Amino acid sequence: MTSVPLVSVFSADDSSKVTAKHIPLPAVFQTPIRPDIVSFVHTNIAKNRRQAHAVNPQAGMQHSAESWGTGRAVARIPRVSGSGTHRSGQAAFGNQCRKGRMSLPIKVWRRWHRRVNIKQKRHAAATAVAATGIVPLVLARGHRISQVPQIPLVVEDKIESYEKTTDALNFLKRFGAFEDVQKVVSTKVVRAGISKQRGKKYRVRKGPLVVYFNENAKLLKAFRNVPGVEVVNVTRLNLLQLAPGGQLGRFVIWTQSAFAHLDKLFGTYRYTSIIKDGYQLLRPLITNPDLARIINSNQVQEKVQPAKTTKVLHEVQKKNPLKNSKAMDRLNPYAKKQRAAAVAAIKANTKGTKKIKKNKALKKASRAAYNKVAASLNDATKAAVQEEQDIKVKYFSVQKGAAQTE
Amino acid sequence: MSQKKQQMQVEQKVPENVAKKTVRDTKLREAVAKRRTERLAANKTRRAQWEKNAQAYEAEYKAADKSLVDNLRKAKTEGGFYVPAEAKLILVVRIRGINTLNPQVRQTLRLLKLRQLHNAAFVRVNKATIEMIRKVEPYVTYGYPSRAVIKNLIYKRGYAKVNGQRIPITNNNVIEQQLGKVGIHSIEDLIHEIVTVGPHFKEANRFLWAFKLRGPRGGFIAKRKSFINQGDWGNREDLINDLVKRMI
Repeated sequence: MTSVPLVSVFSADDSSKVTAKHIPLPAVFQTPIRPDIVSFVHTNIAKNRRQAHAVNPQAGMQHSAESWGTGRAVARIPRVSGSGTHRSGQAAFGNQCRKGRMSLPIKVWRRWHRRVNIKQKRHAAATAVAATGIVPLVLARGHRISQVPQIPLVVEDKIESYEKTTDALNFLKRFGAFEDVQKVVSTKVVRAGISKQRGKKYRVRKGPLVVYFNENAKLLKAFRNVPGVEVVNVTRLNLLQLAPGGQLGRFVIWTQSAFAHLDKLFGTYRYTSIIKDGYQLLRPLITNPDLARIINSNQVQEKVQPAKTTKVLHEVQKKNPLKNSKAMDRLNPYAKKQRAAAVAAIKANTKGTKKIKKNKALKKASRAAYNKVAASLNDATKAAVQEEQDIKVKYFSVQKGAAQTE
Repeated sequence: MSQKKQQMQVEQKVPENVAKKTVRDTKLREAVAKRRTERLAANKTRRAQWEKNAQAYEAEYKAADKSLVDNLRKAKTEGGFYVPAEAKLILVVRIRGINTLNPQVRQTLRLLKLRQLHNAAFVRVNKATIEMIRKVEPYVTYGYPSRAVIKNLIYKRGYAKVNGQRIPITNNNVIEQQLGKVGIHSIEDLIHEIVTVGPHFKEANRFLWAFKLRGPRGGFIAKRKSFINQGDWGNREDLINDLVKRMI
């Protein structure tokens, strides 16, 4: 990119009015997007706000329990001493026991906090700031920015002097940021789980982040009560706010002076940062991200080898050439002629023999003769069957008669 | 209004990548088309050559048959004997499985390409191969294949060894690529080389994978006995053809 991307500063009162046109984007916004660094730094830095907790060191151990040893038909676990209560003789101390202490009880000297290299933290912050200027990332994070006139949204310093929440609300409405606030309000839910009994009743989404510069700005109080909105000074940009949950692309509203301060804060590619002593922004691995252009360039195409063509050695399925004439002809073009010659030879051999013609008259006569014979046979069989039946009737009637007489 | 005009102008412009790609693609397409026409023309001449060769071989085989018959008749009329030349080619079929084999026998069978039951392979006849076959005699049956059997084996069960892979011989390209440099270009050339045990029999036979035959329809007589003793193993000379016809 030879040209520097430009940004307009909007008037706080009127979103259609631009107070300063074509301000160059600070170099931070050109940093390569490194979600891996952000993810690593975020997971570690998120642990730093934790408060130590522990289990009571004496929990489950306030007994004089002793093992009964072997030979008493019970397990060898320590058992509560004494008598006179159900508790006596019950198992104690073990993590498996009822009322026993947990295994590996939590100690306060657990390592709660993580240190991260300063350079990594700075790179993460720079990347997170860069991501706030990329619309698809902000949209992907879930912010409702379709009505926002410009990303990154830079507004004149007038908003730093807002004292009333109504002013803040109207400002957000004017710049299409109220949709994001509405999202926060409408998606506030009671948290699932025990945490709601421990002071975290609601799960609230993140809305816009307003970044200001002047220390005696009053806008904190104005924006404080708007749900989802966070306010932060540009000198104290926090990765946990810029990339909540480790997810890049927070919707940020910059004041003009805050925006201008970013170059001093992070430095540029020409000079290192003044404030973050000696910090140099991450350089991208490749300067020209247009891969299609590189691949299609003359320089690359000259060197490129021709595309490999698949060498097909054989048909997908082997057909038997002795049965399949097409397969045979593919292998041996002479086979066609051989087959034709064989057919011709058969024909030549049978040339002298007469073809038997079908004699219709003969057919008719033979059919009549056959029918006659069939009819006579039919009569014969009919007679035989009838005879058999007569005999049967005779026999049974005789029997019947015999039975009756008996 | 001016916006619309601008739009139209933009539509007429072709993106740089697209322009370059179309130029490249047309060039490639032309090259492919050219190669295709060349290939088709070459194929035509090749096929004509195959046909010519096949015709010549047919005449050669016919002449060989005729000369054999003529010689036999001549000998009969003269009251003498005609002994045709001893076979130059043997077809060996493995009839024993893989279990409990003597290591030397195992190795020799491998050398003969007979790694599996009912595998068949062509072997040239010379002192060395005769000794090898003698070593494995109880595990194989062999004989002198007829031309028809050789042809059927190569057409129906013919597979080539290409880069250590078993490739079916479905077209003559395989043969051309592997054996073109020794003058065998088509399947009929290959068959002719095997039948006549020509000067490049070694390459031709090496090109062929072992024939994987099925078990004989109608079965063996007795694999435990030699053919001479009303069994199956050993030399059965011309009767190998009957067996292989049942196994093909």
